[in-house]
Amino acid sequence: MRTSRLALVVAAVVAAALVAFPFVFTGPFPLHVMIVTFMFATLAVAWNIMGGYAGMFSFGQAAFFGIGAYTSSYLFVTHGVSPWLGLVAGGLASALVAAAIGYPCSNLRGHYFAIASIAFAEIVRTHFNNWKLVGAAEGLTIPMSKGGFLQFQFHHGKAPYYFIALAFLLASLALSWWVARSRMGYYFRAIKESHELAMVLGISFVRYRLAAIMISAFISAAAGTLYAQYILYLDPESVLVLSISVQVVLIAMLGGAGSVFGPAIGAAILVPLSELTRVSLGHKGTGVDMMIYGALITLISVYQPRGVWGLLTGRIGPRAPPAPVAARPVAVQEGSK
Amino acid sequence: MSEQLVQQVVNGLLIGCVYSLIAIGLTLIWGVMNIVNFAHGDFLMLAMFVSFWLYTLVGLDPLLSIPFCALLLFVLGLLIYRFAVSKVMRGPMLAQLVVTFGVSIFLANTAVMLWTPDYRLIDRTLLSGTWQFGTVQVSVAKLVSSVGSVVVSGALLLFLRRTRTGKAILATEMNRDSALLMGVNTDRVNALSFAIGSGLVGVAGAFLSMYYYIYPQVGGLFGTISFAIVALGGFGSITGAFIAGILVGLVQTLGGYFFDPAYKYAIVFLLYLLTVWIRPQGLLGW
Amino acid sequence: MAHRKQLGIIGIVLSLFALLGPAAGRAQPAKVIRLGAVYPLTGNIASTGLDCRRGAELAVDIINGKYDLDLPLARTAGLPNLGGAKIELVFGDTKGEPKNGIAEVERLVTQEKVVGIIGAYQSSVTKTASQATERLGIPYVCSDSSSPTLTQSGYKFFFRASPHDALFARDQFNFLKDMEKKGQKVQTIAVLYENTEFGSNVGKEVVKLAQEYGYKIVENISYAANATDVSSEVGRLIRANPDVLMHASYITDAILFTKTYREMGFKPKAIMTFAGYIEPAYLPAVKSDANGIIVRSTFALDLARSKPLVAKVNELFKKKYGVDMSENAARSFTAPFVLADAINRAKTTEPEAVVKALQETNFGPEQVIYPWQGIKFDPQTHQNIYARGILVQIQKQQYVTVWPFDASAAPVIWPLPPWGNK
Repeated sequence: MRTSRLALVVAAVVAAALVAFPFVFTGPFPLHVMIVTFMFATLAVAWNIMGGYAGMFSFGQAAFFGIGAYTSSYLFVTHGVSPWLGLVAGGLASALVAAAIGYPCSNLRGHYFAIASIAFAEIVRTHFNNWKLVGAAEGLTIPMSKGGFLQFQFHHGKAPYYFIALAFLLASLALSWWVARSRMGYYFRAIKESHELAMVLGISFVRYRLAAIMISAFISAAAGTLYAQYILYLDPESVLVLSISVQVVLIAMLGGAGSVFGPAIGAAILVPLSELTRVSLGHKGTGVDMMIYGALITLISVYQPRGVWGLLTGRIGPRAPPAPVAARPVAVQEGSK
Repeated sequence: MSEQLVQQVVNGLLIGCVYSLIAIGLTLIWGVMNIVNFAHGDFLMLAMFVSFWLYTLVGLDPLLSIPFCALLLFVLGLLIYRFAVSKVMRGPMLAQLVVTFGVSIFLANTAVMLWTPDYRLIDRTLLSGTWQFGTVQVSVAKLVSSVGSVVVSGALLLFLRRTRTGKAILATEMNRDSALLMGVNTDRVNALSFAIGSGLVGVAGAFLSMYYYIYPQVGGLFGTISFAIVALGGFGSITGAFIAGILVGLVQTLGGYFFDPAYKYAIVFLLYLLTVWIRPQGLLGW
Repeated sequence: MAHRKQLGIIGIVLSLFALLGPAAGRAQPAKVIRLGAVYPLTGNIASTGLDCRRGAELAVDIINGKYDLDLPLARTAGLPNLGGAKIELVFGDTKGEPKNGIAEVERLVTQEKVVGIIGAYQSSVTKTASQATERLGIPYVCSDSSSPTLTQSGYKFFFRASPHDALFARDQFNFLKDMEKKGQKVQTIAVLYENTEFGSNVGKEVVKLAQEYGYKIVENISYAANATDVSSEVGRLIRANPDVLMHASYITDAILFTKTYREMGFKPKAIMTFAGYIEPAYLPAVKSDANGIIVRSTFALDLARSKPLVAKVNELFKKKYGVDMSENAARSFTAPFVLADAINRAKTTEPEAVVKALQETNFGPEQVIYPWQGIKFDPQTHQNIYARGILVQIQKQQYVTVWPFDASAAPVIWPLPPWGNK
């Protein structure tokens, strides 16, 4: 009870700070850092649903991010479709692609899944890089329109982007919270444990895997549309690259994969950190900032794999009853231990 | 014209052999410990730099620096195992996946800090020039690298099948618990496998440095391809990784030649995905 | 207890970052004018970023000091119309990413209080950076990005002093037409390019111009710059058997392809290239194999024959950095002069006035280190109408100007010498 009151207080303080932020720090740079933070937090929350909850560790999240960004941008540039509708279209396109790739991959576990996701994302990137319809390597430029909410473009200050990005994050967190507490979340944890467990429980292993991937893809695509409308330019190098996917995983893990808020916390730490080190160290060109980053990741994996959330709460995952103990898998390729 | 076809096949085989050597080290580690060393490409990069510095500072030809690269990478593998990998073996799967990513980022950027992002090339090697076999032209350096890769791969197989330590490693690969029961010190086997796997990629690095350019991010594409090769070949199968490496080299080259060079890596990855859907354990995995 | 220890370790590592805290904007003494320079100072392309940085810094040295050179503001210390105010460059690292282009420009303008921007080398980053300066209303002079689209957006605050890829491509075709007049006929062309914005833009231009000039494109190949092996690409080129190859690359692929051309015996009449083959690391890597290859350039050291200014500037560069000036450094060298000169004529750093002064920029040929008539911006596009390229050919492992013929230092070697005896 005490922890829960504390949690509420913390939540209230954080909420107030977030709302007040753009009125205190009005310069574009601090707002930019926060917007990018919210965006990566959203991506990490999305990843968490398929990775942290359902055990599918994807290193290809950028593919969904990019498909979302490209879909809404293409529709706007070529057919004048409002980016908000484009966002939905992008989400659906992404979810469809996710299902298409998720189905054949539904039997892959652990490392095999990770590598398959990398392969998939690289195929997507190569394709977009050569696809004339969406500008191939030159990418798409979204023309500056008169601005405003309907156009999803704002030219006088970044505060609108800030609040929209924050709203996206809150929506994803809410969705993540709901999933975690629902029966679907319970099943996700079951399939994370093992295929056999799913059978024992009488659930369709494949169907829930697909659900997790599709939800994750939809949210990632929405973040992609946000990026496109914010930067107004995209090319395969900026939205479909492996480094974005890796960053998302690292953020989720640092914060605490499998928990609701962990990914957001991870983003809140890593994104400002990388922006600040770029500003202070980057111009020297030595790569020291990234060295520290790499060392940090290694240390976290070794000493505190539950991430910051695990550190703070001593446990991971919601307070639902623990999943039944899984029968020890016999096949060698099943997970660790 | 058919002479170009033969040339392309030969080139595919050449690059395939080098891929195989890189992949074999990776699959050994994977088979024994169930860890994908995502820093494998960066190990390759380090080996290339070692070869470069030996050449620049001491004038040692890359061919002769093979033992040094192998040894240094062997030691590096031991250290990384001891201080990072062994500690996550009992941890969650995610930590095992991520820890080598952390090592990868750290190594690549340490290289940037130490040696700048500039591109280096070893320009005068013992083996330069091309040989002509009929209508096919082959770079001597590439030929030696490829043959050398095959030889080293063969040596590894012999080691694993004929020596006691080698058999212990194979046993652990097949069934960890049984190996433990049989009295194999699995922790030592892990360390040794990681070290040998790293040493192998050290040799590959020395070979590559004879004709490829060297810079801190050079591990990127080689690494990504080697993951696909290992998964394609099958969990823990050395022969599988070897065959998959050659196969990928051929697919990449012929796919690029007949279809579209812009898609040649995509074709490789597509092949990987298709194989893994039809046969999830890879070509020769169990 | 274990928790606390781990918290501690992580806390220590994180506070390492805090110690390195960001530079705060400082109040400026009145006699300093700050200009922002955004370049890829870390990341894959950092060595080019460093090159650009050097060029820009040398320019600022010359502006701030007193040098007997015909360059604008060289003979005076600082900007004379603003009481000798000195220029200070504040660098921002883009890491080569477009989103950082925006962030750095905004940071430099709002926190570091710069009054103008130069940079950003990569066209994709310049694209977003110029968008940011347009929103902020700050002048931006670019002299190192070559995508034609940058001056097609109708921006008011963005100016480009250097040539773009469409001009460079046209140069190559004009050269071919000139060669025809000398009796060297060309019919087929193969175009090869790396698959990012730069390369594919060039590819597009070449295809367009080939049709305009009446040449047949027999092969059109796009490839990944970091490829592990390029046998299939060169194999296709051999199969297509073009008279001329046009290749847009970065340095690593330039090296890889040159080696593979030699290995596989690819020998068209000419290899005409963009960018990568003129990077400083290229010649040492491939040595005599490079002989005969033609590269487009804005700058060549042998221009010194007709323009002593080039030699003098290179001397200064060499004294400061220990190496000859490279193409990238030469390009970035220009922008500070253009901006400083405009600010000086405007007698203020107020953006609208500076933009007006920029539109009135009129450098003569003796005031630039390139074979241009000078610098003068088109009123609509803000592209320098006098910007042009030259073609250099690698002869005896040196870059020699071969075109335009009236500016050439030596006759062009045609066709490409056989691989054995270069």
